[in-house]
Amino acid sequence: MDDRDPDKLPFGRRRRTAASALIAILVAFVLGVLFNAPAMKKTATELPFGGQRSVRLALVSPAAAVSHWVFLDRPARFAAAALGKPDPGLRPVEVVVVTPRPTPQPTTASGKPRPQPTAKPLPKPYAGHPMHLYIAGDSMVGIPGMALVNLSNDTHLIKPLLDYRISTGLVRPDFFSWPAQLQRQVKAFDPGAVVVMWGANDNQGVQTSSGKVYEFGSSGWEKEYRKRVGDAIAILFDGGVRRIYWVGQPIVPDSTYDRQIRLMNDIFRGAAKKHPGVQYIDAYEVLSDGGGGYAQYLRDDKGEMQQVREADGEHLTYAGGMRLAKVVMAAIKAEWFGKKKPGAGSAASSPKASAKATPAP
Amino acid sequence: MLFPTITFAVFFLLVFMGNWLLMPRPRLWKPFILLASFVFYGWWEWRFVLLLALSAVANQLFATAIERAATAAARKWLLAAAVAVNLGVLGWFKYYGFFVTSVVNFLGVFRLQADLPLLRIVLPIGISFLTFRVLSYVVDVYRGKLRTSSLLDFAVYVAFFPYIMAGPIARASEFLPQLAGPRDPRRVDTSRAFFLIFAGLAKKMLLADYLATHIVNGVFTTPGQYTSLETLLGIIGYSVQIYCDFSAYADIAIGISLLLGFELPDNFNAPYTAISVQDFWRRWHMTFSRWLRDYLYIPLGGNRKGQTRTYVNIMITMVLGGLWHGAGAPFIFWGFLHGGAQVVEHRRIDIRKLRAQRRLRASAPPLDDTSDLGRSTDALAAPAAGGPASGRAAGAPPGPPGIDTRPWGGGVWPRVGVFAFVTFAWVFFRSATFGAALSVLAQLFRGWGSVGAAVTPALLLVIAVGIGIQYVPRSLYERVEAGFSVLNPLAQGALLAVGFMVLDVVGPTGPASFLYFRF
Repeated sequence: MDDRDPDKLPFGRRRRTAASALIAILVAFVLGVLFNAPAMKKTATELPFGGQRSVRLALVSPAAAVSHWVFLDRPARFAAAALGKPDPGLRPVEVVVVTPRPTPQPTTASGKPRPQPTAKPLPKPYAGHPMHLYIAGDSMVGIPGMALVNLSNDTHLIKPLLDYRISTGLVRPDFFSWPAQLQRQVKAFDPGAVVVMWGANDNQGVQTSSGKVYEFGSSGWEKEYRKRVGDAIAILFDGGVRRIYWVGQPIVPDSTYDRQIRLMNDIFRGAAKKHPGVQYIDAYEVLSDGGGGYAQYLRDDKGEMQQVREADGEHLTYAGGMRLAKVVMAAIKAEWFGKKKPGAGSAASSPKASAKATPAP
Repeated sequence: MLFPTITFAVFFLLVFMGNWLLMPRPRLWKPFILLASFVFYGWWEWRFVLLLALSAVANQLFATAIERAATAAARKWLLAAAVAVNLGVLGWFKYYGFFVTSVVNFLGVFRLQADLPLLRIVLPIGISFLTFRVLSYVVDVYRGKLRTSSLLDFAVYVAFFPYIMAGPIARASEFLPQLAGPRDPRRVDTSRAFFLIFAGLAKKMLLADYLATHIVNGVFTTPGQYTSLETLLGIIGYSVQIYCDFSAYADIAIGISLLLGFELPDNFNAPYTAISVQDFWRRWHMTFSRWLRDYLYIPLGGNRKGQTRTYVNIMITMVLGGLWHGAGAPFIFWGFLHGGAQVVEHRRIDIRKLRAQRRLRASAPPLDDTSDLGRSTDALAAPAAGGPASGRAAGAPPGPPGIDTRPWGGGVWPRVGVFAFVTFAWVFFRSATFGAALSVLAQLFRGWGSVGAAVTPALLLVIAVGIGIQYVPRSLYERVEAGFSVLNPLAQGALLAVGFMVLDVVGPTGPASFLYFRF
C-alpha cells in the first residue's frame, strides 16, 4: 500500500497512497463520531423542533447508542469531568420553579406579601456604593450591552455586568436555562437593575412542561411565551431586583422575521405594562428610520451618518448599539439619578423623548 | 461551511473519495472539484456562487483579450479595465458604505445635504482573496509570465474550496500548472497534511478562541472593566489570537489541499520571532506581502527610483495594505505604522551603506553600482528571509558584504522590540474606531492597583504557548510528521480521532468563525 518516496522528505517522512489516506480518514471519522456521539446528539436535540431536528436525531441516535454500548462515549465524559467542564452529552434541564406574580395583590410562595418593586424610593448610588446593573440576553444584547457597560463606567456610579449567551432565548431551556442563570446571577451579583433582551432566537416552537410542543405564533405558543416572560420577571424581583428594563427587538429587513419580532415585542410590551417596575425599551422604534422603516444607516445626535446595523440586517454595529444603549441609560438615569418620580410600566420610545427626560446624573 | 464542523467532515470525506476516483479523468475531475467548491462556498450564501462564476468568466475574457491584443497600448488598456472592474467590484462590496457615509458627513460639515443611497451590502466572504487571485492571473498573462488556461482550469483555480475563504493567496502561476496533469495518488503527503490540519484546529480551538472569549473581546469592547495588567494581557492576547486564528486557517487549507494532491504556498513562518518589521512581513501572511510586492510595490517603482521614492513606495504599499483589511482610520493608521517602521529600518541600512561607501572610497576604488544602495533591504523587495543555511543571519536580506542588513541586529531584544511594536499596532487593527483604540491604550495607565480576575494561570499559559510554538525549531515538527508517516493508517486514524476528541472537549462549545473571513 505504501511506497517509499523517491523524493527525499525531511527526516525520512513518507508519502502515502490516497487509499492509505482514505483508511486513516475513515477510521478517524468513524471513531471521531463515536467519541463525540453524545455531544452530537445533544446538538441535534437542541435544534428547533421540526423536520431537520428529527432527521439529525435519527442519524445520530444510533451512533450515540453504539458509542455507549462500546464504551466509546466514556473518554470524552471522563476528560470533561477531569477538566471541570460540563458533560458533553445531554444534561437534565435546569428546572426553576417560579411562583407566578399575581396582580394586584402579590404574595410570595410562603404567603407573605410581596413588596412592590416601585413601592419604595430607589436608593441613589453614590461614590463607593454603585448601583449594580446586570445586562442579560442573547447575541443581540452583545454590542448594545458593551456600549451600556462603557456608559455605565463613565458614570462611576453604576457597576455593570454583561452576560450574553449566543443562540439562547426563553423557549429552549434545554439549550440554555435563562431562569436558572438569572437565579444564579441575582444571588451572586445582587443587581439593583437588570436590562434584558431576548427574542431573536425565540421564533421557534416551544415545549411546555407537559411535553406539548406549540408552533411559533400559535395561541398556545403565545400563552407559554407570556408565561416565560412573566417567570423571568418574577425570578428577578424575587431576587431583590428593583427595576427591569426590557429591551424589545429592533426592526429587521426580512418581512417574515419582522412580523415574528413584532409579535414578541407586543408580548414584552404587555408584560411591562402588567408588571410595575418593568420598563419597556422600544428598540424597534429607536432603530427605525423617520418613516418607521428599516434603516441600515442613521444619523447620530451630532448629525453624523453612521452604520447602525451589520450586513446581516439583524445585529447592531457599535454605533447602533450605542444608540440603543443611550436610550437605556437615559431610562436608568431618569429613575436612579433623577428627581423625577419613578414611573411604572412607562416606555422609552425614542432617543429624543428619552433625552428630554434625562436629568444630569 | 466552517472547517471544524461535522458537516465539513462529511463533505470532505465525499469530496476526497470523488477527487481520487475521478482524478485519472480530468474531464470529469475538473467539473467535480468545481462543483464541490461551489457547494462549499454556496453553503453560506448560494447567490455568491454566481459572483465566483462571473468573476471567472470575466477575468478569463480579459486575460484572453490581453493575450490576443495586437498592440502594447491595447494590452495596457485591457489590463487597466480588468484592474478597474475587479477593484470596482471589491470596492462596491467592501467600501461603499464607508465611502457614502464619508461623503455625506463631509458635505454635512458645510451644511450640504447629499441624498446618496445607503444600502445594506453583504460582503461576500473571501472577496479580497478572490480579487488577489484573479488579478495575479490577469497581470501575469499581461506580463507574459503565464499563458491563458482553459476557462474550466481557471474556474477551478478561482473557486478551489480549501483556500477560497481566507487564503493562502496561491498565484495562478503556482496553481494552474498543478492542473496540467492528474495528481499522483501514490504520492500523497498525508502525514504533513494531517499534522497541519490537527495543528490548525488546535491553534484555533485551544488558543485563539480561548483568548478571544476569556480576555481579548472584553478588553477591546469594554476596556473600563479591566485593570491595566488585564488590558496589557488582552492586547498581547490579541497578537497571539490573530496569529493562531489566521495561521490555523492557512494550515488547515494547506493540509486539505495536500490530501487532495495539491500544494499551496506557506503563509506564516513564526512571525513573532522576527528581528525587524521588514522581517515580520517576510514571515506574516507571506502570500499577501508577496502579492503586494509583485503587483503593487514593484509597479510603483519599488526601490529602483532612489531612496526617497523607495520610502514613499513602501508607505503607499503598506497604507493600501492596511486599507485592504477594511475601510476606516484604524486600518489606515495600522498600515501607516508598519510602513513608517519599515522606512525607519530602511533608512538605518541606507546610512550604514553610505558610511561603508565612504570608507571604501577613502581606501579603494568606488563601487561600480551605487544603485545597490537601498536594494533588497526592505521586506517588500527582498526574497524570503535567509536562515543559517543560506549563510546569512536569520531574518537578514542580502546586502553588500560587510554590512549588517539587520536594522536592529539579532538576538533577544530586537525580537522583543518588534513584537512590542507589532502588538501595539494590532490595537488599531482590532479597534472599531480610532477613539476605541486610544481608550484601550489609556486603560494601560489607569489601573495598576490590582491584578484583575481575568489574569489566570491558564491565560498566561495560553499566551506563552501561542508565542512559544513559534520558537520551536521546524525540525521538531518535521520529526513528528516523519514519525507519524510510518504508522499504519489504522493507527493514524485512531490517533487523529483521539486528538479531535480532546480538542472537542477542551475547546469552546460550537465552532467560531475565522477572523480573516471578514477581510
